[in-house]
Amino acid sequence: NMAAAAAGSLRRAGWRLWRGRAVVRCQLYSPQRALQVSAVLRRVSDEQKKEPLASSSQQQFDSHPTNHQPEQEPQGPRPSYTGQGGQESEDYESEEQLQHRILTAALEFVPEHGWTAEAIAEGAKTLGLSVAAAGMFHSDGSELILHFVSQCNTKLSELLEQEQKLVQLGKAEKKPTDQFLRDAVEARLRMLIPYIEKWPQAVSILLLPHNIPSSLNLLTSMIDDIWQYAGDQSTDFNWYTRRAVLTGIYNTTELVMMQDSSPDFEETWRFLENRVADAMNMGNAANQVQSTGEAVVQGLMGAAVTVSDAETSRAVR
Amino acid sequence: LPAGGVSLRLCSTRVTLEGINKPVIDRIIRVDHAGEYGANRIYAGQMAVLGRSSVGPIIQQMWNQEKDHLKKFNELMVAYRVRPTVLLPFWNVAGFVLGAGSALLGKKGAMACTVAVEESISDHYNSQIRTLMEEDPEKYKELLQIIKQFRDDEREHHDIGLEHDAEAAPAYSVLKTAIQLGCKAAIFLSERI
Repeated sequence: NMAAAAAGSLRRAGWRLWRGRAVVRCQLYSPQRALQVSAVLRRVSDEQKKEPLASSSQQQFDSHPTNHQPEQEPQGPRPSYTGQGGQESEDYESEEQLQHRILTAALEFVPEHGWTAEAIAEGAKTLGLSVAAAGMFHSDGSELILHFVSQCNTKLSELLEQEQKLVQLGKAEKKPTDQFLRDAVEARLRMLIPYIEKWPQAVSILLLPHNIPSSLNLLTSMIDDIWQYAGDQSTDFNWYTRRAVLTGIYNTTELVMMQDSSPDFEETWRFLENRVADAMNMGNAANQVQSTGEAVVQGLMGAAVTVSDAETSRAVR
Repeated sequence: LPAGGVSLRLCSTRVTLEGINKPVIDRIIRVDHAGEYGANRIYAGQMAVLGRSSVGPIIQQMWNQEKDHLKKFNELMVAYRVRPTVLLPFWNVAGFVLGAGSALLGKKGAMACTVAVEESISDHYNSQIRTLMEEDPEKYKELLQIIKQFRDDEREHHDIGLEHDAEAAPAYSVLKTAIQLGCKAAIFLSERI
């Protein structure tokens, strides 16, 4: 029947999308495909509710009887029923935006279903789409997790940006580096709390070889962001050392958090505090070693000059 | 805000460095920073050996200009959120060894090294200027200005080297070719790693 055929073609389309995908940067998806996939979704949808949608490669829509717009619909204009030709730019939603919306809606179902196609299907249902929408995505839930991580990183950046504005306006004190790092990592890890039961599953999926470029990218940009807001201006090898250290702190704290059962994860935050303190001490020790090294070199140079002058003067005599 | 009227929002996520071709600019700044850093170390090596000779003051003067160049690129690196090359510790040592080694061949040897390196660097800056002009001269006006200025400075160093009998150095053409090959390799690596 038509639904099964459409679901099959969706799955194939999704698979092709998946294989053609390049390394994920800040945007997770290549926004190039036509809206055919989404259009087919509409037709297959059993629901009465519709998304406002327009496309250049417009398909003939069966005119579903239109009813009310779902209340929670965030986008503006009401659905237009003569789908073709209705190219109002406010209605236009790229496939990428649609995917983001589905994934965001799916997050609500993760605590129950895990990072799976079921959660995505449930999410699609709340948006008034067919459960076949889950076929757009990889079956192991990779995109859902990557979407979540990307969202959390964006939230963190916004948080840090706001904090920085407050400091610039003089409304808040500038935090010392160790406290800044602690607070930033804590804020970011707290975003995992609603999903903490299923997070170990997510971590293992992120470590799958085909996900590593994307997950590594997301991790490194987050760490870079944190250091950026912490005021790091290093232009030498410290750039790498600092980021490596903070990555280590973040990852180990995340691991501790996953098996922490203390109230409000206090053990985790205490662990974090200790690791950050260790890192600061390491930094100080490194500086001391460098100063000592420099002093030693100067001493040797002085000795060498003395000896060579002595040789010269003896040769002259 | 960084020096000059660069229109970007500092300390936001990198996507808000509006409208610039990030990969291209990244490479340019990273390799130029590495180059100026290496040049600094080369002059430091030369000064370590020839600091108290007659060419000491000349080398010191050129070194001071390179220090200014490096300072500028440090600022640009922070402003454009570019990562430095991983090979910096290596260029630290290699530059010093090259400077000291060429200086041990005598004053002319040091000058020959200067000529070779400065010629490489000015050619490299020229090709970067071409790239930026092809991209968008208006958008990258400040960067272009800086690179042009530095290119002129390096040319000047090159000419100073020639004035001080670089060409009379032992095995001048061999030395020059070898050093320029090394510079090309350094540029290739620093752009990428």
